Amino acid sequence: MSRIDAIKRHLVEEYELGTAPAELADDYDLLRNGVIDSLALLTLVSWLENEYALDIDAADVVPDNFRTAASIDAFVAAAVTTAKVG
Amino acid sequence: MIAWSKDDERLKEGISLWFGKFDEDRPRYGREPAFPREPWLAVMESGILRLPFDEKWGGLGQSLLTTMYVLEELGRCCRNTGLNFGITTHMVSTGVALQRFGSTALKDAHLPQVCAGTAVGTHAVTEPDSGSDALGMRTTATADGDCYRLSGAKAFVGNGPVADLVVVYARTEPAAGPLGVTAFLVARDTPGLTFGDPVEGTGLKSAPLCSLFLDDCRVPRTHILGRVGAGLLVLDHVRTWEILCCFIVGTGEIRRRLDRCVAYAGERSAFGRSVGGFQAVAKRIVDMKIGLEMSRKWLYDTAEKFTAGRKVTADLATAKLVADRIAATLGLGRAA
Repeated sequence: MSRIDAIKRHLVEEYELGTAPAELADDYDLLRNGVIDSLALLTLVSWLENEYALDIDAADVVPDNFRTAASIDAFVAAAVTTAKVG
Repeated sequence: MIAWSKDDERLKEGISLWFGKFDEDRPRYGREPAFPREPWLAVMESGILRLPFDEKWGGLGQSLLTTMYVLEELGRCCRNTGLNFGITTHMVSTGVALQRFGSTALKDAHLPQVCAGTAVGTHAVTEPDSGSDALGMRTTATADGDCYRLSGAKAFVGNGPVADLVVVYARTEPAAGPLGVTAFLVARDTPGLTFGDPVEGTGLKSAPLCSLFLDDCRVPRTHILGRVGAGLLVLDHVRTWEILCCFIVGTGEIRRRLDRCVAYAGERSAFGRSVGGFQAVAKRIVDMKIGLEMSRKWLYDTAEKFTAGRKVTADLATAKLVADRIAATLGLGRAA
């Protein structure tokens, strides 16, 4: 499974989106549609850290990195690269 | 339990020499709702406000744990609970937020005064309609060139009547949920920022609160703590420090009451023996001791875990509830 599919599956299962992971659009706005509330944000950051062995800095937890499944995927891609280089 | 170093003990003893001065004129501050200005001068001189901040900005470079160790002693020795509350509010709301999330320029400009106590700090989170539900806040911040325009009202701002610096949490993107809030450092004299009359806090007369009004208040982008939309994370970090620091002061206060109870139980005699020898009294004292140690363990263990970079959401909630319930139960004179 690709990373973005794994992220979608987590979002759908964890936050009960009522849709199949494959049907969740890459650009579905998770913030405007109320998928990510305060607790969901903390659990999502925690899941990403465990799943992809990341140490996410609070300064990076901003709207543009968490707005859609695609932006989360891009954020993780950049973070994984940084972690490898670091 | 933690083995404190000789340096920790020396630091605690050195700063605690000032606690008598913190406590001066307490009956006066127990009567009228006023910020204790004169004791605050002793607070500034003592260096206690400098504890957790980097030496580069005038801090003492101490860890969260060592800071808590000194604050616990503050609670034990200083009976001006409003002043103690003012100290922790100042340190965590403004100092901790600025040190962790401020730009170097912003830290250079304000952190030395926060460390010295010459600029009193606070934060404005609660609103009249949404309480402490940070996501329900209505105060908005709208981008306008190199500034943001803040509009709205805040309530129950601790240290508010005397604050020189306020960390204001406002919505920068109304529909972005938890990523729609941003933290701004706002100076008292910023046009558009006004303060309401002092309001007396229950049981904390010397820590007056007030409302705060923002009317198209222009705040430079450079005064953002963290990044736009990261306010909730700033608040999460600050709240963690706030709970650990405020509640460890409370355990110091419990320790003081326990010591007084033990002393009295030894002094007071009935039926030819000190009352502490009666099981009904001894049991209550033992329960106090157990409650005190349970609170301390939860708070220090959570602080160690947090310092190690681990998630402490559940630990912190547990520590807060345990310490809170024990303080309330003992304060009401019942066994824990």
